[in-house]
Amino acid sequence: MKTAFRLVLLAAIAALGFWLWTVLFPGPEKIIRQKIARLAATTTVDAHDSNLTRAVKVGNLIGAFAVAAEISCDVPELGSRTLSGRDEIRDTARAVLAGLTTLKVEFLDVTIHLGADKSTAEVSCTVRVDTGDKRDYGVQEMRFQLKKMDGDWLITRAETVKTLS
Amino acid sequence: MIVCWQLSAGFRFNISVQSAHVPPPHWLRVVLIGRRPKATLMRIAVLVVTCFITFRFVLLPIRIEGISMLPTYQDHQINCLNRLAYLRHEPQRGDIVSVRLSDAHGLANPSVAYLKRIIGLPGETVSFHAGHAFINGQLLDEPYLKLPCDWETKPFPCSPKQYYVVGDNRSMPFSFHTKGRAERDHIIGKILL
Repeated sequence: MKTAFRLVLLAAIAALGFWLWTVLFPGPEKIIRQKIARLAATTTVDAHDSNLTRAVKVGNLIGAFAVAAEISCDVPELGSRTLSGRDEIRDTARAVLAGLTTLKVEFLDVTIHLGADKSTAEVSCTVRVDTGDKRDYGVQEMRFQLKKMDGDWLITRAETVKTLS
Repeated sequence: MIVCWQLSAGFRFNISVQSAHVPPPHWLRVVLIGRRPKATLMRIAVLVVTCFITFRFVLLPIRIEGISMLPTYQDHQINCLNRLAYLRHEPQRGDIVSVRLSDAHGLANPSVAYLKRIIGLPGETVSFHAGHAFINGQLLDEPYLKLPCDWETKPFPCSPKQYYVVGDNRSMPFSFHTKGRAERDHIIGKILL
């Protein structure tokens, strides 16, 4: 009985240790997953959000992208558009967030493929956008390319993918 | 064998002797957990495991959102998706299938997927003239279409691994309707009802 109790205690301590290890030293996949979740939270604005909050969100959004990042989007009813560099992304994000009362962005079914060098990654997910009005942007497949720069994972390219060609 | 039989007989005897003195369980207890709680617990466990496997990997409960499958399926309708439908055969024309948007690999179920009808099979060419679908130049009979359509398009050839999928509600302009060629590995199942 004593031995069994000791074994159970040992297993519990080992599990707790493993959990603590993953919390304190998360792997690249977990970091990227958190990054994508933060990106969704940053691009989501509520009707009660002040202009200052929106400006802070734009700043946070820009921080997720590399200096030479590129966004290529094909939005239903609005057509395709490509944004190059942080400045253009910042200006567009400011304009979009200022023009919308609410914006809800969700990245669903996130799958991450790490590169062989462990310093690049490709993320595939489904993006769902709700602007609160009657426009239906539907859902779209989306891909991100990330690169580890100075210890931080930054988005180098984001693009929408046509599932049905 | 004899020993076992004797033990069994003795066990039965003991039970019958005991049951003669023990009052019958309360009717509420019988209704809730049965006369044999262990057996009831086992049945519940089996039921939970069966339901988990069935509704997680075989029949996925889905909620249809949007109007693209009208009038066959209404907005917010509940249905099930059979993920094993194409284990033995390939998708057929007329099947209503679910097409996943994200990475096609893995067993995990997508949170969101398209629900469309297959009208074009691999290797075929699909086009629309005067609102009617044509497969390799032949008019496709679609009795399920009830809403008017005026689509005029160029031909869309499907590769050997592509299926042409489209909704049943083609009353909106062609560019506003989500349709097109889906890769075979993006088709995850067939709608059940």
